[in-house]
This record gives sequence, C-alpha cells and structure tokens, in this order.
Amino acid sequence: MREGRNWGGSALVVPALFLVAAFLLAPLALILRYSFDKYDPVKLMLGIFSPGNYVQAVADPFYQNVLSTTAYIAALSTVIVMLLAFPVAYYISRVESQRLRGWLIILTMLPLLLGNAVRSAAWMIVMGTKGVANAVMLGVGLIEEPIKILYTPTAVVIALVSVLLPFAIITLQSVMDAIPTSLEEAGQSLGHSPLRTVFEVVLPLAMPGVVAAAAISFALAMNAYATPVLIGGPTMKMMGPAVYDQIAKANNWPFGSTLACILMVVTLVLTVLSTRFLSRKYF
Amino acid sequence: MGALSLGRLAYLALVVAIFAFVIAPLLMIVWVSFFAEKILSFPPTGYTLSWYARASEMADFANGFLMSVKVGLCATLASLALGVPAALAIERFPFPGRETIRQTLLSPMYVPAIVAGAAVYIYFIELEILTNFQLAATFTGLVIAHTLVALPWTLRLVCASLVSANTISEEAARSLGANALQTFFYVTLPIIRPGMIAAAMFSFIASFSDLEKSLFLVGPGKTTLPIAILNYLEWSLDPTIAAVATVQIFIIGAALIVSDRFVKLGKVF
Amino acid sequence: MAGVTLSNIRKTYGTLAAVDDVSIEILDGELLALLGPSGCGKTTTLRMIAGFVAPTAGTVRFGGRDVTRVPVHKRNVGMVFQGYALFPHLTVAKNVEFGLKVRGWDKAKIAARVTEMLHWVQMEALAERSPRALSGGQQQRVALARAMAHEPEVLLLDEPFSALDAKLRGQMRTEIRELQRQAGITSVFVTHDQEEAMAIADRIGVMNHGRLEQLGSAEDLYKRPVSRFVAGFIGKCNFIEGHVTGPGRFETANGQALQFSGEHSIGPAALCFRPEHGVLTPLATPGNSLPVTVKAVTYLGPVTEYDLVSEAGNRLLVSASSSGEGAPKEGDKLSVAWSIGDAFVVD
Repeated sequence: MREGRNWGGSALVVPALFLVAAFLLAPLALILRYSFDKYDPVKLMLGIFSPGNYVQAVADPFYQNVLSTTAYIAALSTVIVMLLAFPVAYYISRVESQRLRGWLIILTMLPLLLGNAVRSAAWMIVMGTKGVANAVMLGVGLIEEPIKILYTPTAVVIALVSVLLPFAIITLQSVMDAIPTSLEEAGQSLGHSPLRTVFEVVLPLAMPGVVAAAAISFALAMNAYATPVLIGGPTMKMMGPAVYDQIAKANNWPFGSTLACILMVVTLVLTVLSTRFLSRKYF
Repeated sequence: MGALSLGRLAYLALVVAIFAFVIAPLLMIVWVSFFAEKILSFPPTGYTLSWYARASEMADFANGFLMSVKVGLCATLASLALGVPAALAIERFPFPGRETIRQTLLSPMYVPAIVAGAAVYIYFIELEILTNFQLAATFTGLVIAHTLVALPWTLRLVCASLVSANTISEEAARSLGANALQTFFYVTLPIIRPGMIAAAMFSFIASFSDLEKSLFLVGPGKTTLPIAILNYLEWSLDPTIAAVATVQIFIIGAALIVSDRFVKLGKVF
Repeated sequence: MAGVTLSNIRKTYGTLAAVDDVSIEILDGELLALLGPSGCGKTTTLRMIAGFVAPTAGTVRFGGRDVTRVPVHKRNVGMVFQGYALFPHLTVAKNVEFGLKVRGWDKAKIAARVTEMLHWVQMEALAERSPRALSGGQQQRVALARAMAHEPEVLLLDEPFSALDAKLRGQMRTEIRELQRQAGITSVFVTHDQEEAMAIADRIGVMNHGRLEQLGSAEDLYKRPVSRFVAGFIGKCNFIEGHVTGPGRFETANGQALQFSGEHSIGPAALCFRPEHGVLTPLATPGNSLPVTVKAVTYLGPVTEYDLVSEAGNRLLVSASSSGEGAPKEGDKLSVAWSIGDAFVVD
C-alpha cells in the first residue's frame, strides 16, 4: 500500500495542473511573446521581436488617455469602495447572531455571483434617462429635466463601486474576524468611546487587510470590461474594452496582447502586494 | 452595550444604506420585468408576465440559456473530476512545492478575466492553425475555458473541507485495515461531501455568470446567456431583458441558498 | 476610590438567566474574587461591573454614583483581560499611555505617569518593546500598568492568570496581590480556580447557575459552606446521604445514627466531612464512624489519599500524612472516623 500512496500523492494533482498549464499559462506565455511582435495588415504579424507596442501604448496620446482614464476611474472607485466596505465589514465581523451573519454574507456575495451582465443591466435600469433614479428625482422635484447619468464617468464609478464592494467587504471582514474583541473592550475600558476605539484599535490592526482589499479592488477595476462598455458607453475608453477591441475587432493581436500584458503585470504586482500585506496581519 | 445610542443608530443606518445600494438595483430589475409598458416609465401603468413569455420565445435567450446550463454542468463536472483529486493530493499527501502548485491551480482566479479570455482565444486559433482542430467558437472550447473559471472554486472549497476534517478518522480507518481506496470512499468522501456540493454549486455559478472569458470564445449559435444579455443591452433596455436577468438572479440565488445548507457561507470566505 | 455595590442585578438572554438576582457590596480597597465553574455567571457579573453588559434589572454603583446606564468608557474602570489584550500595534509604553491622552492629560503629565507605572511593575527597561516580544508574566505586568495608569476607581481582572504556566502563576498572583494592596484599589477578579481565589482574595463570592451561593472569607467558605455546591467546590468533601432527625442528629440512608455540629432543619440532607478530618482505624470507634473497605491508595508525597467505599456503597475519601509502616493497603477492611465538630450538614 505504501508505494500506492506515494504514487497517488504526486499523480492526483497532474490532470488539474495540466489543464491550468495548457490552457492558461501557455496562452499567457503566447500573448507575452506576441506583445513584442508587430501588426501587419496583410500578414497579421511580422514575427519580429521589438518593444515597439509598449512604446506605443505609453507614448500614443490615445492610449495615454485610455491608461490614465482607467487608472483614475480605478483609483476613485477604490477609495470610495474602501470607505463603504470598512463599516460594513466591521458590522459583519462583529454581529452576534450567526444566522444574521450568514445572511449578510449571502447578501454581500449575491451581486458578485450574478455576474457582470445582469448587474450592469440592473444599473442601466436605475441610471438611464428614463430610469428609476431620474424618475425619483423628478418625482420629488429635485430636478426638472431628466439628467444624464448613464454613459458618464460618474455612472461607471458608481457601478464599479458596487462590483468591487463584495471583494473588499469579504477581504476586510476576514481580517477583522481575527482581531479579538477583547482589544476593543480594552480600548473602551481605558476611556475611548466605541467610535474612537475603531480608529485607534481596529483600523491600525486591520490595516494589512485595508491595503490588500484596496489593491484587489484597484486591480479588478483596472480590468473591468462589462461596466465600462455598458455603463460607460462607446465614449468611455478603458483598458478592458480596448483589449477586446484590438484583438476581436481590429485583429491587431500584437498590440492587443501588449495591452493585455500591461493589465496582467499591474494585476500581478497588486496581487503579490496584497498577499504580502495580508501576511503582515497581527492575527 | 445593549442600549441603542444615537451613534449606533447612525452606524446601523449607514450599513443598511450600503447594502441597499448594492441590492436595490437588483430589486429594480426584478420589478421592471413585470412592467406592462415596453418603454420604461415610473411608476408603471400596469403589470404583466408577458415579457417572460417573450424572452423564452427569443432564440438568442432560449439558446443562450440552454448553452449556459450545458456548459455550466460540463464545466462543473470537469472541475470536480480535476479539482477533488488535486485537493486530496495537496492536503493529504504533502509533497515538495505543493504551495506553488496550489497557487498555480488557484491562478485562474487572479488572472484578469479579460486577459485570460484574450489569451485563450489567441491560443485556440493558433492551435487550430497548427493542428486543424477547432476550439474557438465550439462547445468544447467553452467548456475548457469555463472549467478554468470553476476549478479554483472547487479547489478552495474542497481543500477547506479537507483541512477542517482532521486526518484522525482517516488514520483510524487505516488502522482498522482499510486500504487507501476504501478509506477514501468510506471515510474521506462522506466527510468532504458538503464541501463538494458547495464546490459544485459555486463552480456552476461561476461558469453560469461568466462574461469576460466567454466573450472571445462564443460563436454564431454558440452564445451563453450573459453574452446574449450583453449583446441585447448594447441596443436596447426593456422589460424583456429585465425578465431574462430576473431568471438568472433566481437561479443563482437558489444555488447560493442551497449551498449555504451544506457549507455555511459565512465560513467559506 | 470607592466601593462597588451590586443590587439585585440580573442578566437574562431570552429565557436563560446568566446572572440571577446577585447583590454584593464590595468594600473600598477590597480584593473580591468571583469563583465558580464556567457558565456560572461570574464573567457576566464582571462585565456588568465593567459596563460591557447592561443588566436586565438591578443597579451597579461605584461609591454613591449609579453607573448602571453609564457606558464603559465613561465609568473609569481599569481592566485586565484574559490573555491581556495588549495592543500589538503599539509599544509597551504606548499601551500604558493609551488611556491617558483621551483624558486630556498634558504631555509632561502623561510621560511622568507612564514612567511611574512602568517603574511600578518593573518594566521600564522594556518600554519600547512590542508586547508580542514579551513573556506571559511581563505581558501581565504591562496589562496591569495599563489598567491602573488612569487611576481608575475599580480594577477588574478577568481570569488574569489563566494564560500563565503553573509555576509563574503562583509568583504572579503574589505580585499582583502586593501591587493591589499598595494601590489600595477596589478590585474584582474572576476565576474558576478555587486555590487561586483562596490565595489572594479578601473575600470570595461563589457563583453557580447565575446565583451567588455564598460570599465570605476563604475560611468561612471552607469551614462553613452553606450549600452542597460550595462544600464540593471549595476543597474536597465527603457526602453521606440521609436525613436530619433532630438537633445535631443525622441518620444515614441505611439507618446508622451520626452526629454533626451546627444547625439544620429536619429532613433529607447530606452529612459532610473533609478528607483530612477523617481518620482510618482498625476498629469501630464510638461516635461518628463508618465501616469501610479500602479501594485504592494514592501516594501524593506528603499525604496519601485513600479511596474508600462504605457498606452502604458511599464513596469516601480520606487523606492522611504518608507514613511508612502499617499504612492501610488496598482491600483492607477498616473504619473511618471523624469528630463531631468537623461534621456539618448541607441540603
């Protein structure tokens, strides 16, 4: 039996590993290579190796704009998400009833698991010219004419915030769960009000989680596709849609690969950063 | 701290407001799906169920739904077939470099979906040029991509249930004379079954709701439901699409609640 | 400084009473231990004094001040938590300082107080360390310094020694006892360890099922327990079932007459004596004695414990100084005798 056991140990992981290696890692390696090639209208690719696409992505005003818009939208969304996620995560991690806690987590996760298509459709119904938000504001007399919300950067940020919130809440909540409540009680017994205790005790102790959640949110926002396309409309130029346009529509594989690789590297760096910070947790 | 102070009340209101911000749009879309008028107007002039009938008659949605279910089921089965043995190997047979292996198997979760979708699409085309075997815009190709989406969920959930079930019962079975296979089927499998059911549910949900990875891989007549929704939304917004979205909300909501019965979701994340 | 008065405090969760009608007057400068098994309500009581739990009924007073509805951070208590709850993101000095800034003390006064407190617990040398780099005993000293820095009216200690190993525990409790005496602060500490409570408390409140069973000095509780629970929880005790037939007279279940000291109403009860008050003799002696068989002999160094079983099937325990020759052996049929003064009766 002993031999069988050792043999089984290493072999059981092989099929899954093959799938990931053959259909994710190899494709990623392929586009990394293509990102250094050059597009040709006739031959599609010239088969050369040059950093030209990367230079273009950084130097071309159009793509500069795409990059900076993406970074700006992602940063703004991340800040808002962190401000909203913190109080919610703290609430979930400190709620006494396990039942309520379970429901709150389902409620948090539900929009995330519905996928971007449905979620975007929902926001379009809320933010459209004839949508709920305008109807309500008209109804209470806040505005006289329907205002344009959909297809503006503000709309993209609002929708992105709702996409990112579940990730941020779950990440923060898991870090806060591990902070013993006795530390907050200690803070209060020493004369700090509950609110002040949150700032002086919970926030510093949850800081690794805050940084990690922010990094994850920023990465996800950078990579967003459906939200900018549907909520931002055709004038909203972000990286995700640009990758799709280059590869699927313009057939410019090399440049599309370059944009994809830039996204990949940013995401990779942020993911590594967030795991680094999470490993510095106090608990 | 039982007393509800003003500050605590304000805090509670803030939390409720944030949840409302996330949930309200979903309630809205469910509401709109029953509106009588095709052109959205609030409040509605009346209510009807006819958009559900209309949506089911539209080939894009009906076929997309069927395709999503079929792809989801296949991807779920494949991710269980690959993920459960992998989880066992990682949690029960310590071998060198297993943390790297674990991270590699979880990596589909971290690679941006749009990047992975683009890469897999280019790879499929190159593979086709090389071998004449078509994967892009085929059912098989979609299943492969969706299995990648589902695998990390399976691995995470099954690993979690293997970790929480300690090895003592397995060792007890071995000490009573069961061989490795018997131990697995009589002891380990029953212990991790709730984790596996949750894994199946989440794999299905992840596949069913995936948009970005499928984006490049769908073809004429091979469209998933989220892609059908996306295509429709680029042209119009009406109660039909709300009805389709509502169906998806209820399918995924039901799957979530079912999986919560097997694995407390509060402990998964 | 002030005493603490608990008047008829109750805490119910649904239908369950965690603390049921407890009244205690804790004197100024006194160290009171709340002792009992887990789930007896002692921690809930402490948390009601601290203000973490609001009583369902009853009042909590510090001196003359009713603090029942005062939130924790305005009560001016000092608390040492189980596991100490030192802030891992702050240094030792910053931990001690934590309660001072919020009270609006000026910088010089804070610095002086921190130095004073660290000197008091002999931790000046480690002021800039992270609490995670300290040993258990050191952490406890910091926790005490932190709890006392803002000159609280009441010091509360929740199982303060449970995280320490046995040897350090003895040393730390003497140390804390001395520091508490020096400061002269009214203190309440919660423990499940009767030896610990007896060692350092002025008075002990024994709790069970949310009720205060008995409040008194260690000697009171040991010599004059008012209930079977207290008799069994404070030290070891032999119980012989039967009933009281008259003043000082008791009859066992199988009809043997015994005598006891103290008062008890007529009716079913148990006669008790402590293991160290029992004497094993070869012959039946007049007065209080029962024929027994030795079931097991446990040598514990200075004393030896004898597990006995009486003819009626009662299990009894007797401890005696270990002696070499002629000590009873397993299977010996003997008599166990005890003096009437050492016998008492509980319900």
